[in-house]
Amino acid sequence: MTERSDPAPVARPLILMRFRPVWTYIDGVREFCRFFCDTTFKTTDLAERASVVIQETLENAVKYSTGGDEAELELRIQSQGETIEFSVSSLPDPLHLPTLRAELSSIASQTPEEAYVAAFLRAASEPGEASRLGLARIRHEGRAELSLQEEPGGRIRITATGTVC
Amino acid sequence: MLNPASLAPPDVTSVNISVSAEGVTLSGSITTKEPDRSLGRFFRTVHEAALQNRLDELRVDVRGLSFVNSSAIRLFIDWAIWVSQPTGPRYRLRFVRNPNVTWQRVSFPAIAQLAAAHVVIEDGA
Repeated sequence: MTERSDPAPVARPLILMRFRPVWTYIDGVREFCRFFCDTTFKTTDLAERASVVIQETLENAVKYSTGGDEAELELRIQSQGETIEFSVSSLPDPLHLPTLRAELSSIASQTPEEAYVAAFLRAASEPGEASRLGLARIRHEGRAELSLQEEPGGRIRITATGTVC
Repeated sequence: MLNPASLAPPDVTSVNISVSAEGVTLSGSITTKEPDRSLGRFFRTVHEAALQNRLDELRVDVRGLSFVNSSAIRLFIDWAIWVSQPTGPRYRLRFVRNPNVTWQRVSFPAIAQLAAAHVVIEDGA
């Protein structure tokens, strides 16, 4: 007979926000989170990295969200020990999902710096097209690893995991 | 030399732009959805003025630019590509950055790699 052990402690969200996918909210949310990280963790470096992560994840979520009442975004920040997680849940246009999966897979197959330089080279070779630098920025400038979870109802959650210091 | 009077900057909330005979100084932040429509067109006008005036070097001072989104970084990539065209008149594009600002420290070396012979990165105070 085995003894039941207590479940591992689950980090409580430090920030949990829900709002409609509107571009003009991004600046305000990013600046609040920058202030929050700076004040809570006493590190300007984390605050700057958080700004990149939040700007780029929210921009992607807003750009590709479907309309309607279900399209609300959820931003969650949680930390445990030295690990900090930023995640954004959204309801994207299903046509966007294969592109996102491919982009994440391509980025994950390279080091953050290689993926960053490759994204710049691609942008330079595709004038007039969307920059598509955001995910590479999160990994290299934000020093965070990215993962994608597909949730019931067509929602997805992009999580960026990094360290506090 | 550029003629600042002929290069009126666009009115973009959150970013201050000033033009001098040597180039452009930017401060604030750029997080608009489509900065190419305003700032991108302005940068192109400055680029064309630099070619027309046969400048050897154009200075773009971004030290005061505290934050930009990836669409704004794309504008600097485009500018680096414009000055690296293999034929025709050219000038050296000098970005003056603040290495203490994360996005500036990380992104400008990658931009310089795109046009190493024509782009110079200078660390300013």
